[in-house]
Amino acid sequence: MWVYEKRLQCPVNIKETNAKLAQAIISQFGGPDGELAASMRYLSQRFSTPYKEVMATLNDIGTEELGHLEIIGSIVYQLTKDLSMEEIKASGFDKYYVDHTLGLWPQAAGGVPFNACEFQSKGDVITDLYEDLAAEQKARSTYDNLLRLTKDYPDVYEPLKFLRAREIVHFQRFGECLRLVQDKLDEKNFYAFNPNFDKVAPCVDMKKCK
Amino acid sequence: MGNINKKELFDLINQVSFMLDDITLYLNTHPDCADALEAYRHYKHIRKEAIKDYTEMYGPICRYDVNTENYWDWVNKPWPWEGECGC
Repeated sequence: MWVYEKRLQCPVNIKETNAKLAQAIISQFGGPDGELAASMRYLSQRFSTPYKEVMATLNDIGTEELGHLEIIGSIVYQLTKDLSMEEIKASGFDKYYVDHTLGLWPQAAGGVPFNACEFQSKGDVITDLYEDLAAEQKARSTYDNLLRLTKDYPDVYEPLKFLRAREIVHFQRFGECLRLVQDKLDEKNFYAFNPNFDKVAPCVDMKKCK
Repeated sequence: MGNINKKELFDLINQVSFMLDDITLYLNTHPDCADALEAYRHYKHIRKEAIKDYTEMYGPICRYDVNTENYWDWVNKPWPWEGECGC
């Protein structure tokens, strides 16, 4: 269950519209390394994860990512609010406009629709955590690209900088989760063991193995 | 919360809430860290008081805190994506 709070995790107050920037930033709404994919990845993976620390981490980071989806949505919304037909045509926003007007729709900057194949939920905690670590870095790289594109627009730059910093914190927390999981696995079998299925490994009794 | 205006109070709520978001993630992987537990207690108290004051003076942030005397205020107050007026 979630309870909504009428506030953003990081405030967004954009004074001037800019449809060109909106078309790039929308990638973090519904693109391959965007916040929607991030949230759905962690909130899907959390159910089958075998350790309570990892469950809490996936649950709470997945929840925070929903808040980030809302921050990106607010940026795109404010950048495109009340655009004139001239601005829509001049900025190249006409291709988006024809299908969605000024509504928010999850797509990548190149127009590719959001797709659940942008993330994985594998039911193997090691596989899932490596995916999560990679996802945080891919999102960080995307924010680096967006920061280069928006450096002259402080109203847009500041919330994107905040979101980039969160990718780094999340990477750290998932790294700690991976460490916790590895500490609980059979050291001889570090990367080839799925605690969901392989509970009775052949050498689980170390005395017999020797 | 003393003599702080609406925007300052709203900013305070956002700041302490973010502190709690970050400390929560840290505690999930360090559940026995005494310093983090103390920081959590500290910011939790400030957030609770600030939300109580804000709700009484300016209206609900959460739908469980709506004052139902005259009108369903939840629909009236601005939504956060609307920008500047959002506080």
